[in-house]
Amino acid sequence: MGILMNNLSTQQRLKKINWIKRIVAMIFGVGSVAMFFLPYVQFIFQDTRYVTTGLDLLIASGFRVETEAVSALVGIPVLIRISVITGAVFALSGVALVFFQRPVLAGVSFMISSFTPLLVLISTSGIQTDVIALNISNVKVGYMVPFVYVLISGLVCAVLSLSTQGTEKLAKAVFLTFSCVSIAAVLTITVYIFSAGIPAMAQIGVFRFLFGAEWNASSGQFGILALILASICGTVGAIIIGVPIGILTAVFLTEIAKPRVAKMIHPAIELLAGIPSVVYGFFGMLVIVPAIRSVFPGQTIGDSLLAAIIILAIMVIPTIVNVTENALRAVPNSYREASLGLGATPVRTIFKVTIPAARSSILSGVILGVGRAIGETMAVIMVAGNVANMPTLLGTTRFLTTGIAMEMSYASGLHRQALFAIGLVLFIFIMIVNISFTLISRKGAKVNVR
Amino acid sequence: MFDNTSVVSVDKNQNIQPKKHQSLYQKKKHTFDIVLRIIIYTATAVTLITLVGIIGYILWNGIPHITWSFLSSPYSETRDSMKGILPMIINTLYIVVITLLISAPIGISSAIYLTQYAKQGKLVRVIRFTTEVLSGIPSILFGLFGYTVFCILFRLQTSILAGCLTMALCVLPTIIRTTEESLLAVPGSYKEGAMALGAGKFRVIIGIVLPCAMPGVLTAVILAMGRIVGESAALLFTSGLSYNMPNGFFSQIMSSGRTLTLHLYQTAREAASPNALNVAFATASVLLILIFVLNRLASLLSKILKKG
Repeated sequence: MGILMNNLSTQQRLKKINWIKRIVAMIFGVGSVAMFFLPYVQFIFQDTRYVTTGLDLLIASGFRVETEAVSALVGIPVLIRISVITGAVFALSGVALVFFQRPVLAGVSFMISSFTPLLVLISTSGIQTDVIALNISNVKVGYMVPFVYVLISGLVCAVLSLSTQGTEKLAKAVFLTFSCVSIAAVLTITVYIFSAGIPAMAQIGVFRFLFGAEWNASSGQFGILALILASICGTVGAIIIGVPIGILTAVFLTEIAKPRVAKMIHPAIELLAGIPSVVYGFFGMLVIVPAIRSVFPGQTIGDSLLAAIIILAIMVIPTIVNVTENALRAVPNSYREASLGLGATPVRTIFKVTIPAARSSILSGVILGVGRAIGETMAVIMVAGNVANMPTLLGTTRFLTTGIAMEMSYASGLHRQALFAIGLVLFIFIMIVNISFTLISRKGAKVNVR
Repeated sequence: MFDNTSVVSVDKNQNIQPKKHQSLYQKKKHTFDIVLRIIIYTATAVTLITLVGIIGYILWNGIPHITWSFLSSPYSETRDSMKGILPMIINTLYIVVITLLISAPIGISSAIYLTQYAKQGKLVRVIRFTTEVLSGIPSILFGLFGYTVFCILFRLQTSILAGCLTMALCVLPTIIRTTEESLLAVPGSYKEGAMALGAGKFRVIIGIVLPCAMPGVLTAVILAMGRIVGESAALLFTSGLSYNMPNGFFSQIMSSGRTLTLHLYQTAREAASPNALNVAFATASVLLILIFVLNRLASLLSKILKKG
């Protein structure tokens, strides 16, 4: 009986708490609606200040900007109008839904209303663009209290109304929503890169684009064979130099060095992986480029494919060392013991037993290195010379990545679309690398299990 | 002993002189081993010398030029007396903080969903695959995407906010993966114990799983910080290259600003005088020190995680 009574009272208490939550949510929600009529955003052109309420943003046709030079009407972007009105409407409907005890729907509509200030934030820069187009450079946008209020109260109301439904459901919904964001992101990127790259390819002609030897934006020649070849040569060169060094360093760390020494060197390798690529480029620019110039006097200006290969090799080493180290450590000790027991020397054991056993994991490390080398931009841009020549070891070259980076800032029209098409080619390269990595690392996992 | 006798007996049957063969074989093996050993040592030496060379070269040339006025004054391309990096430090800070504010909640929550809620079905596989793909995309493609979507489509211009949104996409996979690993490392018995005491799933996650995995989550955030500090290609078109002194949070994130990496890139390319080069060296040193500190912090935390 006592237990039952206790249960009843807790239930009543829960009900009471839920009522309070509902009322608080409704008060906050009404506040959001009221904010629609209060000063929302202020714009400062030159010396004049425009304070606009949500209603103004919805109804007004625009701002009249008058200076000695120009007099024009700056329109309000449609996105702002839409987001202001949706903010108010959804806050109102949230209040109504809470009142009629539909907590989940109320939560969703409060959530939507809380996102609208962010949309306003994003689209106000449209006004700035228009104003800058009128040659008035100093325009400032100030956000007032309601702006922040709508954002916060929307989130508070959503959480409150959902929590009347129990924390478990609320939590699961939030976690699921967030994990869908990462899918949405990658899908958008993929779709975008394809949709932006294909038109230019179609217009130039796939064959002429991929196998055209001449890249000259001003005369409208967009052939990227030289860029593709340079990227491939640079990557292959970096792998040829970097992989043996990386694998042997990992062998030293796992098989030969004493644990104490390995523990000292390991953080250093990690640091090497963390150094920003610009710093590598800077080092290459000041040390490797002059070194190449003085080793081959008269034949090269120093900025060359060779310099890019050396820098990329250095950048690839830590990736390969890390992966190989893990792979070698995963090889069961019984393998080594068996080999040593058969009379093989330690070095023989390393090369005949340990490395072959870790083969597929090491290969996946190499592929990771390939991915890093193909995608590297800033280090290459600083040492490769960036002229779209057919790649020669000592001549200046331009990679796919640097091709985009060099011309993006001023390209327009077909030229810009061609750069997107380069991005598409790069993306396809990376996808091939990625997929082969997944396949190989899956195979590696299987071998380890066996 | 056993080995020796058997060899001898076999040899006797086949009428082969054992001694000569054995010694020759051993000798050959020995030189081969030594050569391989030397190659291994050389490779390690090359790696270490490169590392020490790069870091030593930059710090040696850069640290003497890091002064208080260098860290605390604005930058001007024309005036030699104004070569500070304060605006770049502030911009970098803004980008790191805002990017993490966007991507850390998303990344950590999706890691929680993947490890604690999701049944290991298709959806999980799709999310895993997409994060893997995201982590493989080169940063220049993120830059291209960010420029056309955030800067042009959303009309953000080249602004720090656009850079932050782009970087949030870049670091999402790092955060998701590292957090996932640390969540999976929490022993199942902890969770079962809490559940047996009557705690709901959310309770268990907030009260038991997350606190146990906290060092790992922090490692994820710090790794992401390192990535953001070191990133340049994705920010070149999105956050831009302006070096104005910030005068207000909102106005600054809506306008273009270069980070430390882009400052190094720009000063290194434009360096005409040794004085300008010194600015680049000092910036590079600041970057290296920052990365070093973040690196140490991350490995310290992972040590704590292993102990716990």
